[in-house]
Amino acid sequence: MSLPSTSSGVAVAPTGGVAVEGFGVRHAYTTGGEQTEVLDALDLEVAAGGHVAITGPSGAGKSTLLSLLGGLEPLQAGSIRVGERDLAGLGGDALAAYRRETVGFVFQHYGLVEVLSALENVELALTLTGRDRASRRAWARELLEQVGLGHRASHRPAALSGGERQRVAIARALANRPRLLLADEPTGNLDEEAAQHVLDLLEALRAERGCTLLVVTHNRRVAERANELRRLVGGRWVEP
Amino acid sequence: MRWRDAFTLALESVTRRFGRTALTVLAVMLASALLVALATIVITANSRVIRQVSKGGPITGIRVLAAQAQPGQLESDDFRPGRPVDLTIPAVEEIRSLPDVAEVAPVLVADTLAVPPETPDGPERIFERMVGVDLRRPENLPVTVLAGRLPAPGLSSEVAVTLGYLDRLHLDADRPDAVIGAFVDLASPQVYRQVNGEIDYRGRWVHAQIVGVVAQDAGAGQFLVPIEQTQADREWALRGIGDGDRQPLPTSEFTGLVVVASSLDRVGPVRAAITALGFATSAPEQLISNVQRYLRVVDIVLGAIALIALVIASLGIANAMLAAVRERRREIGVLKAIGARDRDVLRAFLLESAFVGAIGGVLGTALGTAVAGSVGLVVNAYLTQQGLEGVRIIVPWAVLLAGVGGATLLAIAAGTAPALRAARLPAREAVGGA
Repeated sequence: MSLPSTSSGVAVAPTGGVAVEGFGVRHAYTTGGEQTEVLDALDLEVAAGGHVAITGPSGAGKSTLLSLLGGLEPLQAGSIRVGERDLAGLGGDALAAYRRETVGFVFQHYGLVEVLSALENVELALTLTGRDRASRRAWARELLEQVGLGHRASHRPAALSGGERQRVAIARALANRPRLLLADEPTGNLDEEAAQHVLDLLEALRAERGCTLLVVTHNRRVAERANELRRLVGGRWVEP
Repeated sequence: MRWRDAFTLALESVTRRFGRTALTVLAVMLASALLVALATIVITANSRVIRQVSKGGPITGIRVLAAQAQPGQLESDDFRPGRPVDLTIPAVEEIRSLPDVAEVAPVLVADTLAVPPETPDGPERIFERMVGVDLRRPENLPVTVLAGRLPAPGLSSEVAVTLGYLDRLHLDADRPDAVIGAFVDLASPQVYRQVNGEIDYRGRWVHAQIVGVVAQDAGAGQFLVPIEQTQADREWALRGIGDGDRQPLPTSEFTGLVVVASSLDRVGPVRAAITALGFATSAPEQLISNVQRYLRVVDIVLGAIALIALVIASLGIANAMLAAVRERRREIGVLKAIGARDRDVLRAFLLESAFVGAIGGVLGTALGTAVAGSVGLVVNAYLTQQGLEGVRIIVPWAVLLAGVGGATLLAIAAGTAPALRAARLPAREAVGGA
């Protein structure tokens, strides 16, 4: 897949979602000399622009799957293809570049840097791409406006409510125009109203940008919002 | 991540978490302060001690006397003079042309009858000597100003006195300032006739103001004057008839010299060459060598203290940075999740360490300079009380740079292991459990 180009031939940021395919994905952790199998020959197929919810009990392997899809750790066995990119064999800088260019993360714990303001947190993701300060600041401000937090740009996370922090995290996840959005329990720390707001926002942004959205959740109501529901138990898919 | 962005991020992290980094900064600051204060005090003390040993003159100074050298002269730092020998201008030129001779300062001592200002229990007149030196180059002379200043070169109406003069007038040596501004009449003797075996003197009078109190080792005498004055006195004496052994006419152009060698290690050869020309010499070679040996021991001890402080500071930095890495595992994971490479994280943490070091270094250097200044004030109060020249605390640029730069480098070195640990943390830290 080639990036769309301007008339001058300069590559522009990708838009739209990306298909995700996984085959025979296995993953194990070794603690104290003991190996624990977390994912067991897992297959996965998500259409470009799709919205999939993954549920399952604690320790089922949901977060591990999300980590592998997001390139947070290298693949041990099997294959994962995200768009045209094969994650098998990627490591170090290549995996960092994949995360920077293709993936946006939303965490349950928000993952905001406490000493930075909302605006600076969003800008941080853009800083890693080497963009100049003026353009990244303008884009970060625009993203905060989009998530309804333009007026809270200068506030630090400690001064924001849980819902507001998660909206800042969503703005940051969208900063580099990701084609795959991965959300790990995005409403896990929010009250009902804030959770509803965040879900509405995620859905609206996905619809507007057409990116592929994978949500890991325990929450049935969050899962029901997805186009497709998958349930993971003991590292294998089971009927939801 | 570009260097500029990493710089900004690290600076924000340090300044906005300053409560947490304050103790680390304090440790660096104290180590840096100790280093700067010790280095400044040691450098100042070393130069002051050497200056004291060399009597305020150049450390490479050799005193030459218009007298023959006795056998074994070079085995002693002091003069071993034999019978008088003329120190003529050709002899001075010969000495000046010796290898490794940087400067030659002539000294001419002349007898004088002094009429000091009236004091409650002091004498009305004293027989003394005036030491004439070349005051255009006072740095070549073993002269230390204790109060006031040196007489202006070539000006016979100004004179400096020694503490010995104060003693002869029964004045308080702790208050040398008291005599400054007073006038003294100085008479150079000339034997102008002899009647029935008795000699008659007449004097060449000079009315001079005391402008300073000095400690000097250029010649034996309690008055320090421009050499032009004692040369004029010599001419005046030569116009008389003299009187054999009792008041002989002066034959030597100078009574002594101060010869400055080009470097400390050339003092020995230069002194040997002058002695070989037949003149008695004196140089504190062995004394300086011994003093330097003791100073080296002091340097080593103080260096060890500074080293311990540096080690403690670096352990503090390493510990604080390790704690920061432990506390910020998730933040580091998130940073990687949004695309930071290992080297981006390494760079950010190293820069944080560098900032802690630089802030601590700047504050510590300022504190160290202030401490050294305060110590200088106390030392000066003591030295003045002892009738000695005070010290001037000057913090060398190298010490200032070492205070700031050294602290920064130390912090970077101490922060390297924690930064590497942070860089190697897996991006998965952002997510947590399975």
